[in-house]
Amino acid sequence: MESLANQKKFIVPIGPQHPALKEPGHFEFTVDGEIITGASVRLGYVHRGIEKGTESRTWIQNLYLLERICGICSHVHALAYALGVEKLGNVDVPPRAQAIRTLVAEMERIHSHLLWLGVAAHEGGFDTLFMYTWRDRETVMDLLEGLTGNRVHYSVNVLGGVKVDVDEKQADAIRRGVDFLEERTKYYMKVVTTDETFLGRTRGVGKMTTEQADELGTVGPTGRASGLTRDIRVDAPYAAYPLYPVQVVTGTSGDLLERFIVRIKELYETYRLIRLILDKMPTGELTARIPRRIPENEAISRVEAPRGELFYFLKSNGSEMPERIKVRTPSICNWSSVINFAVGLKLADMPMVLSGMDPCFSCNDRLVVVNRPTGSQVWTWEELRQYGINYYR
Amino acid sequence: MDITSSLQNAEALLNLWMHGMDYPDLSRIDVTLPPRELKSAVSILKKAHWGYLSAITGLDRPAPAPTAQDSANVPAPDGAIEVLYQFCEGAAVLTLRVSVPYSAAIIPSICSIIPYATLYEREAMELFGVTFKNTPDSDRLVLPDDWPVGVYPLRKSFTGFTDAQKEEMVE
Repeated sequence: MESLANQKKFIVPIGPQHPALKEPGHFEFTVDGEIITGASVRLGYVHRGIEKGTESRTWIQNLYLLERICGICSHVHALAYALGVEKLGNVDVPPRAQAIRTLVAEMERIHSHLLWLGVAAHEGGFDTLFMYTWRDRETVMDLLEGLTGNRVHYSVNVLGGVKVDVDEKQADAIRRGVDFLEERTKYYMKVVTTDETFLGRTRGVGKMTTEQADELGTVGPTGRASGLTRDIRVDAPYAAYPLYPVQVVTGTSGDLLERFIVRIKELYETYRLIRLILDKMPTGELTARIPRRIPENEAISRVEAPRGELFYFLKSNGSEMPERIKVRTPSICNWSSVINFAVGLKLADMPMVLSGMDPCFSCNDRLVVVNRPTGSQVWTWEELRQYGINYYR
Repeated sequence: MDITSSLQNAEALLNLWMHGMDYPDLSRIDVTLPPRELKSAVSILKKAHWGYLSAITGLDRPAPAPTAQDSANVPAPDGAIEVLYQFCEGAAVLTLRVSVPYSAAIIPSICSIIPYATLYEREAMELFGVTFKNTPDSDRLVLPDDWPVGVYPLRKSFTGFTDAQKEEMVE
């Protein structure tokens, strides 16, 4: 490290591979001492050509393909797609089916937020919290499995409705699970807002004002923690959200701590919604008929994924296959914000700032510190994480 | 603000530049623009704080296949790439539609007005072969490093690699 200290500026490429966490991606940070002066991103290590793939599959096959875009928020992808196709086909989905879709979407939000809480705690060196949250997350995973038969790709949707029903026994199990999780979530709120060591990593770190959040195009809880009141469930209610209105959760301070608080408060709101849906579940059919050929048209479908707005553009040409499907995930919005926002922050804060945005986050095996022009030194992501933890020790 | 007034507001803002306009459904307005007017239109939306840029969608519109009646002397019509800039304000969605022919697929970059459009532009550039003039970063974003130059996977004409291209990639 001594020779590095003498250099004024060096570039820190991070990634692309990391077997331990979710997805690969590659970032390059230009650093002046400890402070980041530039950032860029290279994605595509898991680009699967799904948008192209949809053009040679039928509308029904695509439901299963698109659900597999993400293993964390799989249901919202299928939901956004199904809602779009139903718009194109002029199909009215029965209210009970919409309520079940909404129920699963909210249960998915619980699992995604708890997963994020664990990952973020781990990046900050707080592994106890990571273990606790992931243990408790199993509660909702089990409930999802009980309801749908699957832990990850629930496959609840069909075009025109849903394929699973909720009976009283399942509803009671979900209520009990939600009660338990609510108690645990209160505890996490206490830990996150009172543990001084952890607060040292989050309070005042990565602060983003409302104007900045707007300017950088952030979406979801990351934007809401900075006071942006954007939530598709409120702005353009879809599925059964008109029946079960959502109270949008926003924060003011816009730092990492606020992003924790906003997501935890969103969990409270999600528990409230789930109880409301179960108590006031409409009766009736689960599916409506949808034609195999979809008339030529264009549709836009937007839903609120756990990470923010998920945007689908669908174009049909009157055949059994779509002409074009465009998917804009919330993570790409937050990526753009990270690369613009990282400038001026400390390198040691990057693991936390990156995971604080909850990008469906490409984790990173190799951290190569290139010390131009004299040579390079290799770090792993683990070492960067450790570097961050030691920095604050 | 309710949807109707958002849409009317957008229409009023863009009135000067639009070459065509359509309300595809109750929450959407589509505005067709020539490429040279794109930046002015985006600037005015930004100044008026009309929503935010939600997505940039590419659409390939290949020329229709020549029919028997077409004379062999007439040059085949050129296909076009249409780029849709989708802005959202609440439930209202405004789409700016810009169409350019394959032979001159150049659109001015809007990154000087909306910096976070850079990733969207890079994606459209690689997948559709549109050039965004003055875009700050034109590095590969999603395609592999050894992907052949000039092959745009989301164009309808791309249905797989030729043998020559495969060999090139192996090398």
